[in-house]
Amino acid sequence: MYRIRIHGRGGQGIKMASRVLGSALFHAGFNVQDAPKYGAERRGAPIFSYVRAARAPINERGTIYNPDLVVVADDTLLAVPAAGTLLGLDAHTVVLVNSHQSADTWRQRLNIDGSLLILPAGTETEDRAALPHIGATCAGAAACLLGVIDRDVLAKAIDEELAELGPDTVTKNRTNALAAFDAMADQRGCVEEGAAIAATDYVPPEWVEMPLDAARVSAPIIRASGNSVEVRTGLWRTIRPVIDYDHCKHCWWVCSTLCPDSAITVTDNTPIIDYDHCKGCMVCAGVCPPHAIAGEPEYLAQQRETSLTEREGTDATDTADR
Amino acid sequence: MSEQRINRMKDLPSTHLLGTGTPMCSGCGGLEALHQIYDVLGEKTVFVNAAGCMTLLSVYPFTPFRGSWLYTAMASAPAGAQGVRDALDILQQRGDMGPQEDLDVVVLTGDGSAYGMGLSATSAAMDRGLDFIYICYDNEGYGNTGQQSSSATPHAAITSTSGGSRGYPGYKKDLFSIWAAHRPAYVATVIGSEPLDLARKIEKARELKGSRMIIALAPCPTGWAYDPKDSVEIGRLAVKTGVWPLKEYIDGQLVHTRIPRERAPVEEYLRLQGRFAHLFTPATNTAMIAEIQARVDRYWDEVV
Repeated sequence: MYRIRIHGRGGQGIKMASRVLGSALFHAGFNVQDAPKYGAERRGAPIFSYVRAARAPINERGTIYNPDLVVVADDTLLAVPAAGTLLGLDAHTVVLVNSHQSADTWRQRLNIDGSLLILPAGTETEDRAALPHIGATCAGAAACLLGVIDRDVLAKAIDEELAELGPDTVTKNRTNALAAFDAMADQRGCVEEGAAIAATDYVPPEWVEMPLDAARVSAPIIRASGNSVEVRTGLWRTIRPVIDYDHCKHCWWVCSTLCPDSAITVTDNTPIIDYDHCKGCMVCAGVCPPHAIAGEPEYLAQQRETSLTEREGTDATDTADR
Repeated sequence: MSEQRINRMKDLPSTHLLGTGTPMCSGCGGLEALHQIYDVLGEKTVFVNAAGCMTLLSVYPFTPFRGSWLYTAMASAPAGAQGVRDALDILQQRGDMGPQEDLDVVVLTGDGSAYGMGLSATSAAMDRGLDFIYICYDNEGYGNTGQQSSSATPHAAITSTSGGSRGYPGYKKDLFSIWAAHRPAYVATVIGSEPLDLARKIEKARELKGSRMIIALAPCPTGWAYDPKDSVEIGRLAVKTGVWPLKEYIDGQLVHTRIPRERAPVEEYLRLQGRFAHLFTPATNTAMIAEIQARVDRYWDEVV
C-alpha cells in the first residue's frame, strides 16, 4: 500500500493535491482513500492531506503515521514543529520538498537519513499562502515518484478534479503538474509501497491505569481565562506587517482597534504588533492613516532575523518557530 | 443608566480583553467585531455560543474569554441563555451571589443560527423578555462548513450551494425588522469597520435591561473570496454603498445612525468580492447589478 502525506498551508491547494493524486491512482487501477485533515484549516495555517492507494481493499483509516512519501509544498513548514511534517519518517520514506534550497542543505538541517528530494521552487511569491497552483505541481511530482501513474492519467485526473474552476485554471494547473512530473523523471518510481500493517502485530503502549474521575474533574472544562494566547497563530503568517515608527502618527486606535486578532496593543501611545499571534492578514497596513505599516514576506523577515542574531553572536532565539 | 463615555475615537479602548491565538481565519470580520464588542461589555459576561465558526474560539483546553463560555446546539443558544440567566437570578435571590457579582448573559451565534435554525428560540426568548444580549456575526452563509447559503445570503452571491451565472436566487432576510417586530429593549446593526458606531451601540445595549439584539455584518475572506487585507475596506464599502444600513431600534423608534449622504454605487462593494465575480466576468452583468442597486435605492428612498 502507498501511504502519502502532503503538507502545506491553507490556501495552497493541498486538499486539491490529494484529490488529484487520489483520482490519478484510481484511474491507474488502485483502491484509493484521499482526505484532508479536518479541523481549523484556515488560510495560512499548517495543514495536510493524505492519500492511501492499494491494489487490495484498504482497511486502514485516519491519519498516516508511517508514510512512504511525504510532500512538503512550503519549506517554511519544516521548521514548524506543530505542522508535523516529519512525523513517522523512517529510512524507506521519500521526502519531497518544494524549495529554493538544495537537498543537501535540508538533509543536514533535518538530520534525515532517508531519501530527500527537491522540487525546485518557481519564482518566489511575496505571499506564500497564495503560491500559485503549488498543489497541482506537488501532485504532479508525487505522481512521477510513485511510478505507477502515467502522464496522461495525471492530466485526466487534473481535468476532472479542477473542471469546475474553469478552463484557464485547469490549463495552468495541468501545465505546471506535467512540468513537475517531467522534472522528476530521473527519480520515477523511487517510492516503495509500505508493508501492510496488521492489527495482530499491534503492540499497545505501556499503559498507566488512571482511576475514573468524577465528571466535575474529568469533563473538558477550561479553568484558565484568556489562555488562548498559548496558541501561536503567528505560525500562519506568510506576510509580516512592520510598523515604520518614524511615520507612525501614534493615533493609537486605528490599527489596534481594527486588528481582528487583538494582536496590536498600544503602550505609551505606541502600537506594538504581537508577532507570536499576528496571522498576517495585513488589515492594519490597509487602514493605517499615514501608511506607516508595510508588508514583508515572512520567510525574508525570518532570514533577516536569523542572520542578525548570528552576526550578533547571540543565542538564536526561537524565531524559526514563529 | 450611566453616562455614555465613548464619544470619539480616542475614547475607544487601546488594550484588548479578548485573547489572541484564536483559530478564526486571518482577517475575520466577525472576530474584529467581537473583540471590539467584548472590550465594551467587559469581563463580567457569560457567553453562550451556538454551533458555528466561533465555536472554535473555545476549543479545549484554550479560550480567549476572561469569563465563562457555554456551548449549545445550533438552534438553542437563547434557551441556554435563559438557563444561565435563571441560575444567576436564583443565586442572587438565595444570597449566594451579590448584585455586584452579577454577569451579563451574551448569546453569540452566526447567521445560520440567528436567521434560520435558532430564530424560533430567539423569538420565544424575546417574548419572555429574557434579559440578555444577542450578538449575531453575520457572514451571510454557513461559513464554518464551507459557506453554504443561509437565509442571510444576499441575492446573486455565489456560495458552495448556489453557483452558476446567477448565484443565490433568494434574498437576504430582514432579521432586523423581524427582531424589532418583537419590540425588545434594543436592536442594532453594527460592523467592525465602524468601531465608534459599534462601541456606542454596545454601550447603549449594556446599560439597558431586557432583550438586546445586535447584528454585526462580518466580512469573511474565506466565504466571500477576497484577500484578508480587504476586510475593513469591504466593511466600509458596505456602509458607504448603503448595502449595510447602520441603525437601531430603541423605545419603539427606528433610527439610522449613519445615513450615507451620497451613496457609492453598489458595484464598488461587489467588485472586491470573489462571490460576485460572475457579475463582472466574462462580461459585466449590468442587469443584475442594476437590480441590486435598485433594491438598495428603494430601501433608502423609504428611509430618507
